[in-house]
Order: sequence, then structure tokens, then C-alpha cells
Amino acid sequence: MTALPLVPTLEHYLLVASLTFAIGLVGVLIKRNAISLFMCIEIMLNSVNLVFIAFSKYRVDFDGHVFAFFVMAVAAAEAAVGLAIIIHIFRHYRSVNVDEASELRL
Amino acid sequence: MPVLETVFFFVFALGAVVASSAVVFFRNPLYSAIALIGGFFCFAGLFVLLSAHFMAVVQVLVYGGAIMVLFVFIIMLLNLREEEIGATQHRFHHVLAVAVGIVFFAFTAMATSGLFDHAQIAERRAAAASQQEAADAAAPEGERGATVAIRTPSRVPGLYADLNEAGLEDQYARQVAALRDGTDNPAARKYRLHDANKKFEAPPLLQGKHARGGDMEEPVSWGTVEPISLLLVNRFVVPFELTALLLLAAIVGAVIIAKKRL
Repeated sequence: MTALPLVPTLEHYLLVASLTFAIGLVGVLIKRNAISLFMCIEIMLNSVNLVFIAFSKYRVDFDGHVFAFFVMAVAAAEAAVGLAIIIHIFRHYRSVNVDEASELRL
Repeated sequence: MPVLETVFFFVFALGAVVASSAVVFFRNPLYSAIALIGGFFCFAGLFVLLSAHFMAVVQVLVYGGAIMVLFVFIIMLLNLREEEIGATQHRFHHVLAVAVGIVFFAFTAMATSGLFDHAQIAERRAAAASQQEAADAAAPEGERGATVAIRTPSRVPGLYADLNEAGLEDQYARQVAALRDGTDNPAARKYRLHDANKKFEAPPLLQGKHARGGDMEEPVSWGTVEPISLLLVNRFVVPFELTALLLLAAIVGAVIIAKKRL
């Protein structure tokens, strides 16, 4: 049995993570719907988590897991507050288009 | 089984990329949300491949469960019509955004490819494969297939480019052993700015001792709840408590913002 050429290494995980991060970035730049915008941010946070956990394994160290854990907690808090803000914006402007909510005053 | 690892890696990686693209591609937020749930599951699969079992479970519970329920709930609640979603932008804007994404990916890919010596990875793998073959030939029928550890260092000290499951467990056992018998001093390594000579006292659980004295059997295994919780209540206890405060503030803030009148 010879060694497989494509058993995943750290590099493969980093490439997947940067690709999904780039996709999320494109989504944030393209989307004008606040809810979809939030989902693209979640994709970006998730790919960062993947980087943390990949580095954690390949350094044989748990700090990355703990960081990913905190990122998840912050993402949960951010989603709760952000969606509340979206509801508020929708009540006021009758739209979730972020371009319309361009003023700080209500 | 390296073959299965490769197969699952590609399934989950492809799934994550396709699901993320679908989130961006769909205009209807509900379709995006469904695609995103699939993407979260693929990420959880990648976490399992990285031996982060606890994080994979948390990923499914917190992201796939709690956060996505919140999203779908809001989408259903607002029940957006086509004109409320917002007009599409100019084609030029889309092209520009995609170009930014491609440039970003090109830079990160360039940055990662410099880290690794591919020739060395292939060499170590071939060596491990022949070693494995020899070990299998020597071992009795029932004990064949125990994997030979692979540990290929990268160009960054302390970081491995290639690490299989056996190499990971091996290395982790070594680190824990060094911590227990005192040959490794994390205080010198991690808190260099404070006092390099101060002796680091490993928490009793990591030393394999009960708080009231007496040894317990092997307390640590990679990627499960135990080592992560040990870190959370020892070195990261302040951020951990602050997270509780953050979540409380988020709950109060969400209620105050979303409520029509208090």
C-alpha cells in the first residue's frame, strides 16, 4: 500500500476555510437584504472557526477549540441582537433593505 | 482508514463550499437559510475529521439548532414580499464583489502555500507507509492495521503540516506526560512577558490527580469535553465568565430593541 496523495493536511483545511470565507465576503458585498447579510456573516464566522480548530489540531493544543467556543457564544449573542434590530428596522421602514436604513435617526 | 478520511474530507469540503455559494446565490432568504443549515452540518463534519468532537456537537446544537431556528423564525415572522427584499444591484457591483472575493482567496492561498514543504510531506508519508507494511507483516493476524504515527513539521515551529490520528494522540500524550513530570513549563512558554522562571503548576485534573489526593486513571483524550472544560475553568475562566455576562446583555438588549413599548 502506498501513501495516498490526498489525505487532508493542514493546508487543505486552510484552503477550504479561506474559500468559504471569500464566498461569505462576496455575499456580504452583494446582498442588500439584512437577513441574508447576517447569514453571510455567519458563514464567515464559521470558516474562521474552522481555521481555529485546524490550527488547534496541527499545533496539538486546545486553545483554538476554546477560541472557537467563544466565537460561537459571541455569534449567538450577535444573532439575537441583530435580528431584534432587523425587526425594528422592518417595523419602521417596511423593508429589510439595508440601503434604505441609511439614517441614524428614526 | 486514510481512504475514508479523504473521501469524507472531500464530501464535507465540497458540501461546505456549495452550501455557502447557495446562500449567496439564492435571493429568497428562506432558501438561503436552508442552504446554510446544510453548510453548518458540513462544517461540523470537518470538525469531526479534525478530531474536535465536542466542537462538532456544539456546532450542530448552537448553529444548526439555536441560531438557525432564530433565523427561520424571523424570516417567517416578517414574511417578506418581493419588493421588500430590495432591488438587485447593478451588474458592475456584482462583478466588483466577486473580484474582491477572488483576490482575497488568492492572497490567503498564497500565504498558506508558503507554510508547507510538500516534498517533505510526501517523503514522510512514504516512509510511514513502508513502516506500516513492515509492522503489519511482522504482527500476528489479529493485530494488523494499527496505524503508524505521522508527524511532519511545517516551516513554523510547533506547527505540524501533516498529522494523522495516531500522530496526534501520540504527541498529545507526550505533552501531557511532560506537563505531569515537570519537564515542560508552560509558564516559560506562554507567559514569557510575566515571569519566565516561575514554575507552572498544572491544574490537578491535568496532572491526573483528584482534588482530594490520589491518582485517577488516564484523564485526558483529544478533542472531547474533558480537556476543553479543563481549559475553560482554568486558564480561560475570566473570558468564560464574561461570555455569560455577554449573553445576559444580549438577551436584555434583544428584548428591549424588539419590544414595541416597555
